[in-house]
Amino acid sequence: MTTQIEMPKLVELRNVTKAYGPLTQRPQVVLEHINFTVRQHEFVSIVGPSGCGKSTLLRIMIGLTKPEDGDVYYHDKKIGGICEAMSMVFQTFALFPWLNVIGNVELGLEGKPFSKEEKRKRVLDVIKVIGLEGYEEAYPRELSGGMKQRVGLARAMVSEPEILLMDEPFSALDPLTSTHLREEVLHLWADPTLPPEAVVMVTHNVEEAVYMADRIIVLTSRPGTIAKEFHIDLPRPRDTRSPELYKLVDEITGFIV
Amino acid sequence: MVYGENRLTIPRVQVGRMIGLLEILQDFKGKVDLAKVAEELRLELDDILPAVDAAKLLRLLQVDKGDLILTDDGKMLLSNNASGRKRMLNKTLASLGEFKGIIDFIKSNHGGEITKDDLIGFLKENMPDVDAEQTFSWIVEWGRYSLLLRYDSGNEKIKITQKSSGSKE
Repeated sequence: MTTQIEMPKLVELRNVTKAYGPLTQRPQVVLEHINFTVRQHEFVSIVGPSGCGKSTLLRIMIGLTKPEDGDVYYHDKKIGGICEAMSMVFQTFALFPWLNVIGNVELGLEGKPFSKEEKRKRVLDVIKVIGLEGYEEAYPRELSGGMKQRVGLARAMVSEPEILLMDEPFSALDPLTSTHLREEVLHLWADPTLPPEAVVMVTHNVEEAVYMADRIIVLTSRPGTIAKEFHIDLPRPRDTRSPELYKLVDEITGFIV
Repeated sequence: MVYGENRLTIPRVQVGRMIGLLEILQDFKGKVDLAKVAEELRLELDDILPAVDAAKLLRLLQVDKGDLILTDDGKMLLSNNASGRKRMLNKTLASLGEFKGIIDFIKSNHGGEITKDDLIGFLKENMPDVDAEQTFSWIVEWGRYSLLLRYDSGNEKIKITQKSSGSKE
């Protein structure tokens, strides 16, 4: 919903440029002059053609990659390293095959100042919320793609992040499973008692972005720059089949291809 | 036809895929032609049928002349959160022919804990014309989801879930 009162800024990218290759020669510019802000209670989706630097943008936000120019601000403070208030869900789940569900989820609490008992309690709580109850002892190889991604989600959520970053979280899943998991993520998002305060999701699927996000940022292809922003004011829960939704999908797709 | 007959009362699809199908059905206001779903998802019918059969078996949908229709149970399942869904399927599965037979077998042996080999043996004996290994995986998948069974692949022990105190919403 667009409101007159602006919600507080959580994270802000100012003039971010990312390039690869020696700077003395002509570097490969991946992202150029990216400026945007993520505010509290916002579900932002970043869409764009493949190779536009969408995933790199997430890595810069969380601090896994340093930009060549520009800065990331978290609550108006410049951040240098990894931002502990964010966590990430990966397209390919990134689970450790030798750890069971509990072990994989517990990794999300590595380095956090909790006792062993407190960690275990948090892990079991999040497992319940994410719908993984009953799978505690299962190893990744025993799980379907959808369940693996739930483990990825639980690991990201267990630290109660303020901002959840998701990099193509549904694109490795078959259509039935991804439908189900999208609904689950929206359920979690709709629950005000649960973190996060904001979500940033990268996707190449415009329909998915329009279905889920409050705001869509469209990137151009390499170098990635912001082509346009769209506010999606459709009421929730959204109807995947509504003409209004399709109109937006068409309009946004037009900017990408 | 391997799926959906009375003698095979174990769902043979991942839980998430079946629920995904129900959600798509709900998007279509609870009733849609099967072929339309396949077309919309760009899936072959064969990719959807196991989910249809599982949902039918669990009385979450009905099939009528090629239309899939969400039942009241199906609607109720979708309106529940994760714990509520597990509770519903726990009840349904525990009363479902073969699934019940398997639960009873585990219960009656060694205080509700047996090895994978024990169960495979039981399946081979009682369901000679199905792939016992594969059936075992489906039993584990649905047993885990519905909190009826726990399985530890480390020691290959499968057991009945002890009733936990106060499973919260």
